[in-house]
Amino acid sequence: MNKQITYTGMIWLLAAQLVVMLPFLFDLPLWLLPVLLLVAWWRLRVLAGAASQPGNVVKLLLIGLGVGGLLLSGLRFPSLDAMATLLLLGFAFKSLEVVQRRDAIVVIFIGYFLVALHFLYTQSLMAALYGMVSMVVLTGALVGVQQAITEFSTGQSVRFNLRLAVFMLLQCLPLMMVIFVFAPRIAPLWSIPLASGQTQTGMTDRMAPGDIEKLGKSDELAFRVTFKGKRPAQHELYWQGLVLNHFDGHEWRQFDRDYDVYQLKTALMSHYRWQPERMQVQGNPVAYEAVYETSGQPWLFTLSPAVEVEGDVLRGADYRVMAQEALQAPFLLKAVSYPATQRDVALPEYLRTLALGLPSTGDKRSRELAQRLRGEAGGEQAYIDKVLARFHDQAFEYTLNPPMLGGRDTVDAFLFDSKRGFCAHYAGSFVFLMRAAGIPARVVVGYQGGEWNAAGQYLAVHQYDAHAWTEVWLAGRGWVRVDPTTAVAPSRVEQGLEVAVQAEGSFLADSVLSARKIPWLNGIRQQLDTVQYGWRRWVLGYDREEQAALLKSVLGDLSVGKVALFAGGLFAAIGLFWLLALGMAQRRQPEAPEHRLYRHFCEALAKRGARREPGDAPGAFAHQAAEHLPALAEVIREFTQVYEGICYAPPADGRVATRRLKTLLGKIR
Amino acid sequence: MANALRAQLDGWLRQRLPSARETTLNQRKIFIVPSNTALGLVGVIALLFLLGINFQNSLVYIISFWLLALLLLNIFYTWRNLAGLTLTAMGVEPCFAGEKAVLEVELSRPVKQTKYALELAWKGEDQVQVDLISAQTLRVKLSHSTEGRGYFKPPRLQVSTRYPTGLAVAWSYVYLDVQGLVYPAPVEKAFQPIGQSHGVTTDDGLEIAGGTSDFSGVRDYQHGDGPKRIHWAKFAQTGKLYTKTFVDYASHDLWLDWDELPMPGIEVRLSHLCRKVLDFHQEQRQYGLKLPGKVIAPGKGEAHKARCLQALALFGVASE
Repeated sequence: MNKQITYTGMIWLLAAQLVVMLPFLFDLPLWLLPVLLLVAWWRLRVLAGAASQPGNVVKLLLIGLGVGGLLLSGLRFPSLDAMATLLLLGFAFKSLEVVQRRDAIVVIFIGYFLVALHFLYTQSLMAALYGMVSMVVLTGALVGVQQAITEFSTGQSVRFNLRLAVFMLLQCLPLMMVIFVFAPRIAPLWSIPLASGQTQTGMTDRMAPGDIEKLGKSDELAFRVTFKGKRPAQHELYWQGLVLNHFDGHEWRQFDRDYDVYQLKTALMSHYRWQPERMQVQGNPVAYEAVYETSGQPWLFTLSPAVEVEGDVLRGADYRVMAQEALQAPFLLKAVSYPATQRDVALPEYLRTLALGLPSTGDKRSRELAQRLRGEAGGEQAYIDKVLARFHDQAFEYTLNPPMLGGRDTVDAFLFDSKRGFCAHYAGSFVFLMRAAGIPARVVVGYQGGEWNAAGQYLAVHQYDAHAWTEVWLAGRGWVRVDPTTAVAPSRVEQGLEVAVQAEGSFLADSVLSARKIPWLNGIRQQLDTVQYGWRRWVLGYDREEQAALLKSVLGDLSVGKVALFAGGLFAAIGLFWLLALGMAQRRQPEAPEHRLYRHFCEALAKRGARREPGDAPGAFAHQAAEHLPALAEVIREFTQVYEGICYAPPADGRVATRRLKTLLGKIR
Repeated sequence: MANALRAQLDGWLRQRLPSARETTLNQRKIFIVPSNTALGLVGVIALLFLLGINFQNSLVYIISFWLLALLLLNIFYTWRNLAGLTLTAMGVEPCFAGEKAVLEVELSRPVKQTKYALELAWKGEDQVQVDLISAQTLRVKLSHSTEGRGYFKPPRLQVSTRYPTGLAVAWSYVYLDVQGLVYPAPVEKAFQPIGQSHGVTTDDGLEIAGGTSDFSGVRDYQHGDGPKRIHWAKFAQTGKLYTKTFVDYASHDLWLDWDELPMPGIEVRLSHLCRKVLDFHQEQRQYGLKLPGKVIAPGKGEAHKARCLQALALFGVASE
């Protein structure tokens, strides 16, 4: 058997390789591009007959180039990037020596693997659609390399194979969906360090003056939320992410030293862990599901305090909810919050210490101001009001473009000199003033508000909704949220950033072509976003809990037998669908009566020793049979005449002729 | 043990796939299994499933399940590519023992279907791959080596396909109820004396010119003709010299007689006779064949040669 691949097969293979490798170029080192192009070019030259298969020297050189590039590119081992790059190189190089069908199939299988691997980088709807295209091309190539040289031309063959690949993959969809719904979802078996080169977006774990305002200029999506019941008012939507307790005179951080994610997890599981007994649940619940975009960070954002949380998350003593790992894929969280809950009415000592810490020196003027105001105010609440009133009265300005404050005494510089700032400035200086007056306080960062998508009935929270506010601990009331920004720019919280900085014109000033600025485009953008969100929730968010919930809603109480029966039924239905779709279930084409009778006629004569050889014309056969069976000669001749009459000149009423045939057949039998 | 098993399997196959001149492959006759390639794909699917688990990535799951569905669907596709195919044995051309017997088979497909990459094969012998796309029927020839003379009955013919993706192999065995003659292998050079004239003269015998026994006529005198042959009477009448000619009468029946062969061994004798038949046919001579229990009257021409060769091929073979 000819196991060599045809020219058409080679073209298929090359096309499949290019289609599969293309999307990786956005995530992987750029030097891969010339290597891949070189390989493709060489392959084309071989196909055109202009070059021979590369010799061992060229192959070694190319592999050396690839491995060298890999080593020099600074990719971490083992990591997803390194694995993907290695696989891509192998994928490209393999094409240099594809001759046999076997090699081609190896290439195509690696291609399938790479299509899936790319989804570890992005799971967007666009990426998924592109993945479908890749699947079609790969499957077309799989068919293409199977074909020997046929009567098809290359163009015909490409069209034919594409159509076949599309048909097959479409017919596979129902079964794929059934398996997707029913296949058991297992917890990860081990973890591989993912994506070393992944960029982090959104909130970081520290807040220096200017950090959040950078987010304020980004219209990237942070997360989307669906509320189960009534949607809270816009000014109540404080999405708490993390709490910053430590101030070093310049920036706010979570702790006095930098914890990596692992240490942070340890802390959250030991001394800094969530203690639900310290809150008194009050008020109405707000139930919601949030899908967080891939951020490369572990922070999750919830309405504080989230009392019930579903999912594999960590929770801390500051009521934060955190993912186990940095998010490398969209993450779904279901939570129920009780915003009116009293938290930490009795404040543990270590939390109090944390919430009172200040640098030993610096910002002298601010400290004096705190002492003075505290003395004038008397009560803690009065002091808070006084500080807020000061922000309001003293011509403070809310701006996305605050002046630089220098490296030292930044609080002083802001409070007394520039008086122009963003939420981070207000929150930071407010907490500084609280602590300087002996009141426990802390900075909370997260997002405030969000954009309501009426079409999809959900809230979209973008990076420009990033916000910093504070919590102050008051005796008898526990932690109380205070947002000093509202004293300066109440519209920031009521109507969002866009309105708050309207006068300044700085909202998304950097993204000139933002669709948001054109009303009708904005409508389309919201519609598209709705589709994307559905994708996130129903396809990407389909996990163990979703599976259990779905099966329960369809089948009621779950039992293995019931699920097996249901799944078996679906499989059978799909099998039947396939049979029908492929036209295999249809009955044999009904045989015309005259042909059936002629068949019987031949069988009857065969019994008497006159066998009709395949290829014998009825006339010739009749002649032979008549010689062999002289007694029946007349009947045989007439039967054949009538039969040929029906075949070549069908009479108007075929039934008469057919009846005659039957009579004659009876005589032979 | 293995042989017994194979025999049993063969028996079962024969029962399931009865031999016939014409066979249409249907669900009872087609076997299908995933190919080695499919095992490779199963490996890829398993790897992807693990990847899906470890990264909790729905789209990786989807690709994994999609490929699994493709694998299953392909069984249907491959199966359909074979189903409905009709094979008709057109016949086997006669050949000499040790040469290749050539079977001609006609493949035909149902009207609305096309068939790709069909492979017909005799294990260890010939194989051929064809498509049935535009043509409704197609004839292919397959050769099979022969050993002894007699009948050649084609062994089971494997019809298989891996189309469209090579992930499954569908195959069937076809027992074609057809047989071809295998003539004895002719020897290089036949034993000379056989097939010579027996010297029996008959009225319709052949004249051998230049003979001595019977007068046949006169011709002009040529220099060197003996004086005994000069037709003196004619010379007296015409004054011209004429020479008398004579002929011998030979038997026209060149008999190829089994009993006259001096060598022992049935096959050797048959091979000699075979050679002789071919030679006489080549020389366009008239010859007859005498075998124990069978005599073929002298004759000439293709049909006569075929009859003789058939008699040689089937000598001692139980007639069927």
